[in-house]
Amino acid sequence: MTLEDIIKETKTYYCLECGKCSSICPISRHNPSYSPRLMLEKALNGFEGDLINDQELFSCLSCYNCLLRCPADVDYPLFMQKVRALASAQGKYGVPAHSGTLQSLMRLMSNPAIEQRRLEWLSDEYRISEKADILFFVGCAPYFESVLDFKTGALDIAKDSLKILNALGIEPMVLADEKCCGHDLLWTGDVKTFRKLAEHNARIIKESGAKKIIFSCPEGYRTFKFDYPHYVDLDCELQHITEFLAENMGKGKLNFKEAKKKVTYQDPCRLGRHLGVYEQPRKLIEAIPGIELTEMEHIRDESICCGTSAWTNCDAYSKQIRTERLLEAKATGAEMLITACPKCQIHFKCAMVSKGEERGPDVEMDVMDIVNLVASALGDNGSE
Amino acid sequence: MSDVRIGVFICHCGKNIAGVINVPEVTEYAKTLPNVVYAEHNLFTCSADGLSSITRKIGEYKLSRVIVAACTPRTHEPLFRTACEAAGLNKYLFEFVNIRDQCSWVHMQEPEKATGKAKDLVRMGIAKARLLEPLEDVEIGVTPACLVIGGGVAGMSAALNLANQGFEIYLVERDKELGGLLLNLNRLFTSDSKAEEVIVPLTEKVKNHQNIKVHTSTEVKGVAGFIGNFDVTLDQKGEEKKIKVGTIIVATGAEVLKPVDQYGYGDKSNVITQLELEERLNNGVGDEQNIVMINCVGARIPERQYCSRICCMVAIKNAVLIKENDPRAKVWVLHRDLMTYGTEFEKYYQKAMEKGVRFIRYSLDKLPEIVGNNKVKAVKVYHQLMGKEIVLPCDMLVLTTPLIPHEDNQDISRMLRVSLGEHGFFLEAHLKLQPVEFATDSIYVCGCARWPASVPETISQAYAASAKAAIPLRRGYIRSEGITASVDEDKCSGCGICVLLCPYNAIESQSKDGKKLAHITTAQCKGCGTCGAACPSGAISMNHFRDEEILAQVEALVI
Amino acid sequence: MAVNNSVLIIGGGIAGIQSAIDLANMGFQVCLVEKSPSIGGRMAQLDKTFPTNDCAMCILAPKMIEAGRHANIKLLTYSEVLAVDGEVGNFKVSIKKKARSVDEKKCTGCGVCVEKCPWKVNNEFDLNLGQRKAIYFAFPQTVPKLPVIDREHCAYFLKGKCRACEKFCEAGAIKYDQEDEIIEVEAKAIIVAAGFDLYDPTPLREYGYGRIQNVITAMEYERLSSASGPTAGELKRPSDGKIASDIAFIQCVGSRDVRSNRYCSSVCCMYGTKEAILAYEHQPGTKSTIFYIDLRAVGKRFQEYIQRAKDEYNVTYIRSRPGNIELNHHTQNPIIWYEDTTTGETKSLEVELVILCQALIPPRDIQEMASILSIELDEYGFVKTPDGLSHPVDTTRVGILACGCVHSPKDIPDSVVQASAAAARAAEILSGGT
Repeated sequence: MTLEDIIKETKTYYCLECGKCSSICPISRHNPSYSPRLMLEKALNGFEGDLINDQELFSCLSCYNCLLRCPADVDYPLFMQKVRALASAQGKYGVPAHSGTLQSLMRLMSNPAIEQRRLEWLSDEYRISEKADILFFVGCAPYFESVLDFKTGALDIAKDSLKILNALGIEPMVLADEKCCGHDLLWTGDVKTFRKLAEHNARIIKESGAKKIIFSCPEGYRTFKFDYPHYVDLDCELQHITEFLAENMGKGKLNFKEAKKKVTYQDPCRLGRHLGVYEQPRKLIEAIPGIELTEMEHIRDESICCGTSAWTNCDAYSKQIRTERLLEAKATGAEMLITACPKCQIHFKCAMVSKGEERGPDVEMDVMDIVNLVASALGDNGSE
Repeated sequence: MSDVRIGVFICHCGKNIAGVINVPEVTEYAKTLPNVVYAEHNLFTCSADGLSSITRKIGEYKLSRVIVAACTPRTHEPLFRTACEAAGLNKYLFEFVNIRDQCSWVHMQEPEKATGKAKDLVRMGIAKARLLEPLEDVEIGVTPACLVIGGGVAGMSAALNLANQGFEIYLVERDKELGGLLLNLNRLFTSDSKAEEVIVPLTEKVKNHQNIKVHTSTEVKGVAGFIGNFDVTLDQKGEEKKIKVGTIIVATGAEVLKPVDQYGYGDKSNVITQLELEERLNNGVGDEQNIVMINCVGARIPERQYCSRICCMVAIKNAVLIKENDPRAKVWVLHRDLMTYGTEFEKYYQKAMEKGVRFIRYSLDKLPEIVGNNKVKAVKVYHQLMGKEIVLPCDMLVLTTPLIPHEDNQDISRMLRVSLGEHGFFLEAHLKLQPVEFATDSIYVCGCARWPASVPETISQAYAASAKAAIPLRRGYIRSEGITASVDEDKCSGCGICVLLCPYNAIESQSKDGKKLAHITTAQCKGCGTCGAACPSGAISMNHFRDEEILAQVEALVI
Repeated sequence: MAVNNSVLIIGGGIAGIQSAIDLANMGFQVCLVEKSPSIGGRMAQLDKTFPTNDCAMCILAPKMIEAGRHANIKLLTYSEVLAVDGEVGNFKVSIKKKARSVDEKKCTGCGVCVEKCPWKVNNEFDLNLGQRKAIYFAFPQTVPKLPVIDREHCAYFLKGKCRACEKFCEAGAIKYDQEDEIIEVEAKAIIVAAGFDLYDPTPLREYGYGRIQNVITAMEYERLSSASGPTAGELKRPSDGKIASDIAFIQCVGSRDVRSNRYCSSVCCMYGTKEAILAYEHQPGTKSTIFYIDLRAVGKRFQEYIQRAKDEYNVTYIRSRPGNIELNHHTQNPIIWYEDTTTGETKSLEVELVILCQALIPPRDIQEMASILSIELDEYGFVKTPDGLSHPVDTTRVGILACGCVHSPKDIPDSVVQASAAAARAAEILSGGT
């Protein structure tokens, strides 16, 4: 694919150079030299080298703020994704966080000879099936925590998701050979590896006979829904766990006990702007008696990103973005920030950790995933 | 004089007047003045109930003179005159006092003084009103024929519409062919139809129409007569011909500016205007691979501030045609705002973007530069929004220039006694509500002679001019105001100064009982006042503005 | 109505009025139908008009009066077209004349009924920024000068009470039992001049219209700025009534935008500039910032108007389309986030009032109208004139013409030209042409 092809596919040529994207971009707000508009103009005016060699090519969070607001129908996130593929082919990959450990792990996964201890964390407490219509896709974040001792809280997301499904009488399939969905690799331009992972996942899921896949991670969900169809053939119903639970709430199967807490909710970029799921998580939270949901100033499609995407180009601006967001959460008077994406949780918690010589946390706020909240409020359920 | 009964109506004009002037106070003051038998104030005198109040009070109070102190006679004089006529009062027994534009609007910060001035103005108006005399409008018969000057798409559309309504039309075109600018064009936006598909059928219809007499290779040499009755002299290659018409439509179009000495035009062999590009495209497209177009050359600059409205579309259309012919060709349009207004143009702009035409915004303070000796090889442009200079390879440089008025607009302006605006285009009577009429009755303007316009806009204007021309043609007469000059033959010395000065040729020297006297043709008189001011014997007086009326106003002010 | 030489004009705004006057002066019979209680249309809601800054009502009122008085024009106000049958030369049109509850033969337009009515209702003419009575005149200079009872808000019609208007009307013109009338009109040609509506910016949530009080639309601004409007011409901002002296205008709201309408609304660059100039005239020293993408000033004297705005009226133009508007909770000031595309800086501008220059959109009932008339609309919902290069005012049905903003957004001179053009075409058709 050439840059001209990318311009055509993402309709970059429609760009009116109005700057709306830049002014709504969370990175632009903090980083004065960052301008999505300028990136597009470089592409349109023959500055391909400048574009590909620009490290900030990998700063975009693909949060979709620009896509939702662009008046000219330009698909900026897709443009970013495709240009990164061009850059990656020339050996550029931005600045990977944590010395690139996580990306290396994802790439290692694509080697079929290497086996994972993917389900080591799964104890008898959680009931799964060999064969079922519903498959629970765990994702990498819980796996990394269990395998790397990388305490992020993501493992509890997987565990609590199963706990809730079990409480509903559902014993889903969980695949031992599940591999990274490939989201982070696709978004940093490594299309080759992504394809391998996608093909693997598609194959094993097809073989499993699953009809519906439930995700606790919106990144996996988005990837399966929007990106996989371009690379593989997989015909399953897809849902985020909050969508599934919201549907099954009214059937009287989910009982809640009272939990007195004032919480606020972060719409994750992928779940919100990408997938359009805004109401179901709220419905879930408000269904728990005693929980008071108080909203931040910027919610739903105006929600602000947690500040880092694909473990890449994580810098001081990323921290500024999430600190501001945490302050917004604090300003609501809530005791707890509820997220619905393991990445959001990981990044918010990271912002509050004091690391060595870095300054201490600016904000202190409890952060929990929505499934953690729901699981903790589960009352007696008949199917136990 | 003592039996003159004056009614005074003072308008609040919402807050426009009342926000500054104490209108009730002025009304009470008016009541104290001699001959004022009735005074009232209204929120909006021009509203239907305000007008009917005037009509009613004339009857009730047997008013013989009416004063309205309100906004401006420019917009509202006919309204109040009609209200007087409705009560049977001669409309020239009405006097308008402007206490808005000439008082409340210009003295907004001094309400007390403004109120005082309003009282003065009303007193002056009353002083004149006492002396007003009834006058009659003149009904002038209209020759049932129309002259259309200019045989382009505007002139032909107007001619055809009127001809289809049954009127006799003379269509005069100075070139040897009908068609105007469209004869040189390739395709027209936004349908990309060939220009000939529009102009050829139109020309055929015009030539074949029994009501239209076409005169090509003909110019208008002189226009005599007066509104509704023009004696026009045509000149066809030295041969004169006289015609009589009642209305005239000016549809003389405009021309494309040749940007001499700009960006190598005239010097380098591959620099052309959009019009020249049209001609080339008409003859089959060239094989240039890198085409750069620079917009706003000679337009939107301090020396020529206006925007020529249609050139962005011309450039974009030509860019699209080049790309459609060869998708590998690169076309850049350098601009300073893209005027693709409206529903169709913006859509066409999107089409251009889809086809791969690239747009670069430059600014007036950093103009593009050409590179090359005999030919332009490249264009350096400072991309205003990237903050970077870009060097564009260039095989052909096309300069998008504005439409400018024809030099001989001056001649037509003089012959017809119609005005030109500040840029040399013809000036209409009112920019908002009378866009195709001249201040002079029975003469109209349309198309690029008035202002640059696209083909659909031009045809709409042509039809609009036809609609206006059809009114006097159908009615058979024009009403001319009774405000004309009149000669007191006892005082006239026959010096002939007025004859020389009259801008409308309405006065001639006549012999009467062996004495030379000035004779004014009322129908031609516009009441401008030049003769009245110039007459050394004071023999000429202007109806409705007689010396005694004006002096009464002055006295009322200072005494 | 006589069949011979008659034209039906739908829409009594400046375009419909102009067409009617031209045809009437040519000697044709005209029936001018207007759905609201008065002719005048949108121009009556404007304060001043560019580039002359003429007071809109001052130049419109004489035309309205002329249309109201002309012997050849029959006004059917508060009326709607129900059905159109037949063909060119022989259209048969059913019109519903809605009941005003006022006997037009008796009413003198004195206005006592309005004065005495105790019931207040939101005034749609003022964009609900002010109030009117249940019996009302839309504005002071209505033609015809007849009030109308809003039966949906009148205490008599709702609960059988009050009847104050009837009590005080000396002419005995109040007629509660008046019924809608169906009038059959025959016409040889029809001109559609139904005008436009304005884009409601609520869906563009990033701009905060509806959420941030001091973000208003351009038409709301016109009403605030008008001497006859709800604040008697003072630019009092909604949150606290403070006179805003640091304001911003955002262009292309609801236009040039794939999320709303992709077309360009033609006139907003100019009317935004006009409103900025007016703000300065109302309050000298007012600072205005106009956010634009392309500054479309293509008409006569338009470029000079923009230059004067910059030189004399403290107007600054920033080439940028703002991303969103936030709120300063303490001062209620809107904060605009934008990227100045000429410098590449993303920054914010706090102002006291933001005006969204909304697009002109087709009238809300245009689908219904098009189906009654059996004419086609273009992809944006405006009336289609398929052969613009030869017949710019002809719709897809022979004998039906269109003019003004119902055809596409345009300014007053262009509307008036198209209106006269439609009159000429109608005259041509009525003279036996095609």
